[in-house]
Amino acid sequence: MAIKARIRGCFKEPLVHFLLAGFAVFLFFLWRGESADPDSRKIKIDEAHVARLAAQFEQARARPPSAREIDGLIRDSIKEEIYYREALRLGLDMDDVIIRRRLRSKMEFLARSELENIRPNNDILQEILDENPAKYGDDPIVDFDQLYMGERQSETAIAALLENLNNTNYSDQNWRKLAQKIALPQSMENAAMGDIARKFGDDFALILSQQNRGEYAKWTGPVRSGFGLHLVRIQNVKIAKKPQLDDIRQRLENDWRAATAKQREAQAYQALLDAYDIRIEKP
Amino acid sequence: MKNFITIGVAAIFCMGGVVGCKKVDGPDGSSAGGDIAETAYPENVYWGDTHLHTSNSIDAFGFGVRLGPEAALRFARGEMVTATHGEKAQLARPLDFLVIADHSDGLGATRRLFEAPRAQIKDATLRRWHDMMHESPEGSIKVTAEIIDGAGKGTLPDALTDPKRRDANTRKVWTEHTEIVERYNEPGKFSAFMGFEYTLMPNGNNMHRVVIYRDGKERADQMLPFAFAQDDAAVEQLWDYMEAYQAKTGGKMLAIPHNSNISNGLMFEMTGPNGGPMTAEYARKRAAHEPIVEVTQIKGDSEAHPFLSPNDEFAGFGNEGWDFGNLTLQEKTTDDMQAGNYAREALKRGLAIEARTGVNPYKFGMIGSTDSHTALATADEDVFFGKHSGNEPNATRSITPQNLGTRDGRFGWHYLAGGYAAVWATANTREAIFDAMMRREVYATTGPRMQVRFFGGWDFASADLNGDWVKEGYARGVPMGGDLQASPKGAPVFIISALKDPEGANLDRVQIVKGWTDKNGRTREKIYNVVWSDMEKRPMAANGKLPDVGDTVNLAKASYSNSIGAPQLQSVWQDPEFNPDLKAFYYARVLEIPTPRWVLFDALRFGTKLTTNVKLKDQERAYTSPIWYNPKG
Repeated sequence: MAIKARIRGCFKEPLVHFLLAGFAVFLFFLWRGESADPDSRKIKIDEAHVARLAAQFEQARARPPSAREIDGLIRDSIKEEIYYREALRLGLDMDDVIIRRRLRSKMEFLARSELENIRPNNDILQEILDENPAKYGDDPIVDFDQLYMGERQSETAIAALLENLNNTNYSDQNWRKLAQKIALPQSMENAAMGDIARKFGDDFALILSQQNRGEYAKWTGPVRSGFGLHLVRIQNVKIAKKPQLDDIRQRLENDWRAATAKQREAQAYQALLDAYDIRIEKP
Repeated sequence: MKNFITIGVAAIFCMGGVVGCKKVDGPDGSSAGGDIAETAYPENVYWGDTHLHTSNSIDAFGFGVRLGPEAALRFARGEMVTATHGEKAQLARPLDFLVIADHSDGLGATRRLFEAPRAQIKDATLRRWHDMMHESPEGSIKVTAEIIDGAGKGTLPDALTDPKRRDANTRKVWTEHTEIVERYNEPGKFSAFMGFEYTLMPNGNNMHRVVIYRDGKERADQMLPFAFAQDDAAVEQLWDYMEAYQAKTGGKMLAIPHNSNISNGLMFEMTGPNGGPMTAEYARKRAAHEPIVEVTQIKGDSEAHPFLSPNDEFAGFGNEGWDFGNLTLQEKTTDDMQAGNYAREALKRGLAIEARTGVNPYKFGMIGSTDSHTALATADEDVFFGKHSGNEPNATRSITPQNLGTRDGRFGWHYLAGGYAAVWATANTREAIFDAMMRREVYATTGPRMQVRFFGGWDFASADLNGDWVKEGYARGVPMGGDLQASPKGAPVFIISALKDPEGANLDRVQIVKGWTDKNGRTREKIYNVVWSDMEKRPMAANGKLPDVGDTVNLAKASYSNSIGAPQLQSVWQDPEFNPDLKAFYYARVLEIPTPRWVLFDALRFGTKLTTNVKLKDQERAYTSPIWYNPKG
């Protein structure tokens, strides 16, 4: 009984698995009548290898290794190499989650690597710029006036004020007095859309940008901002000037690098994926 | 989630009312920064996060973040990025500046440990950590908890703390990092700052500082970030390092303490470093290097505490979960420690120390930031990506214990969504923003971007609000962060103006918090309600209190309505109890109407079952830097 149990226990030992698997491989090659590739059983430790071992040692211990320690490192390195090769022969890497993840991240890294040192040429950057005029162009520049009417206001009061404003020749000082007080500029000149959005909110800026040209120089509204209701008078809108490559070179390079890293990773995977025949059976 | 929609809002342009322009020096004294005009006085408030961690932070990587500095900068600038766990993330409104402040201790160490060939790892603990990190995200989080615990107890493996090895690793990580930051700095549009966090943590008491450079890569690379924050290290060593950096490179640095709330009284002590009375020299050194304090962030709010301010019904914001123990919960917080934990008390202590030594060590302005460890600088309640990548949006994060290995009652829902730093600067450049921080012309918000102005002077009158009061504020007074010197003109007068966040909630009230030392040298405080919404309908009681603003939060929808509160609150206020002989400070606190917290958005999105004690809404707020009054002599 005890012996049987011990034998059964033996079969749970990794070493026993290891030996049995090795024996199986041996039998496999015996049966196939081939011997293992003799080259795959050659190990050469050259000077560069020894230098690398010594450098690693120094990095870890903050001092160079002694001659004896170098011999030890070499012995250890040979041992590692032999076990590594034999483990691969046995397929021990196959079910190891750590190895699988590690290799995956190495592959992903390879696809992305070297990007930091590459500088894209002008043509590439110009193409990115031309393809995304809205993203890289400066915002439209607006001159406008606004008259704040508070959070809530009746439609009749709004209509009356609009009519009053458009039919009376108010001096610049006098229309301003019709507004309720708020710590926002009543007039902005050369204001970029982004700046207007910061101050008044995104919706307000959006409505301003959609205003009809025919309505310029007239009081219109009401336009709702984050603060309430405004009447607005657009004086002028200048179309955004097209940025020059040199003005935003760094930004274009950044965007190219980020996009290229993503793209390379995807492409590298796609190329590999294409070579596979994949079937999925769901339960 | 309207905030997910980005409207192509670029950063601000310096145009329009430019009164006078001067050229800004480039990163290294040259004018390589381009011709960015500075306005004569700060016309725009710039929004940023001074405290963001990426995969180069030893704990952030361990907690799972795989986004590095580049992704962090792209996100802050408004680009869409993919968060570590696969969710798309984008800011509704980009930030104007960002300080990546990775922990200098073990900078990049977990990432490098993770990436290192296993055979090269000699230390048994490091090898075990390497394997745990590769095994699973849970293993990785366990490693991080062990590292933080080890840092608190001083038991980290030598390989992480040995100066020589550390320096070689750090140099590689740092120069790669500064390269990326430099690439993303766009003067006039987006300021990317060099920075790091010095993680001093004796017995788990949080003494952390974020250090910000005024300079570019060329100077920042000349010295490594200051690390080696061992238990017995003094904060003074950091200041010495900063002085050495400035002497060596000609550059400039400032340090920002944070999470005083979990320092167990150490952050703002009355005593000097060795327990004796604080000396003038020490006080001067501290004030010179630490002009601002981060008072609100994900790990709670450090402005005030009800224990210290029993008359302040709003003092408890963001205290819950943080006020019973230090950072690692190695040590409980006792009552006598609380006074050293909160900024308002520190401002008062500063006056008391100044009365004795002639120097105020705690003369600081206030900012908020995130301290996010996800590489995502977001402080919006509806886009909360978590303290670290281990609690990026998921069904249970709000009810899961978050206390680094112990289970003493810190839960996910105790996290705030994080704050932002608002800076009144003359341009969006590293130099202009840094200089504004040095003069404390900054304020803190708990996330919303309300625009707050605060001026102190002697002859402001209500009529000033009808004219260009900003210009007058600068001409006849001092802005937030400034000093009022004794004057024969009676009590000081303040202009206070708060505009709601254009995309956010209405305002409830503006208060002025006054602190002073009385004739007996005791520190005192009083809170004045200065201006509030619907003032006729909400009359002030005899004790100075106001009726609540109300509450429109719809718990079923995580929404609120701006049918209460006001879009703007403005006032000119004179101190009614002024004594010209007593030192004092004044700062403004602006409260929003109640709005839903991130926890409620989570609950609706994931159907999480919350316990009844979980806070689902709160009143977000802003704290300005103080203005100090100094009597003659």
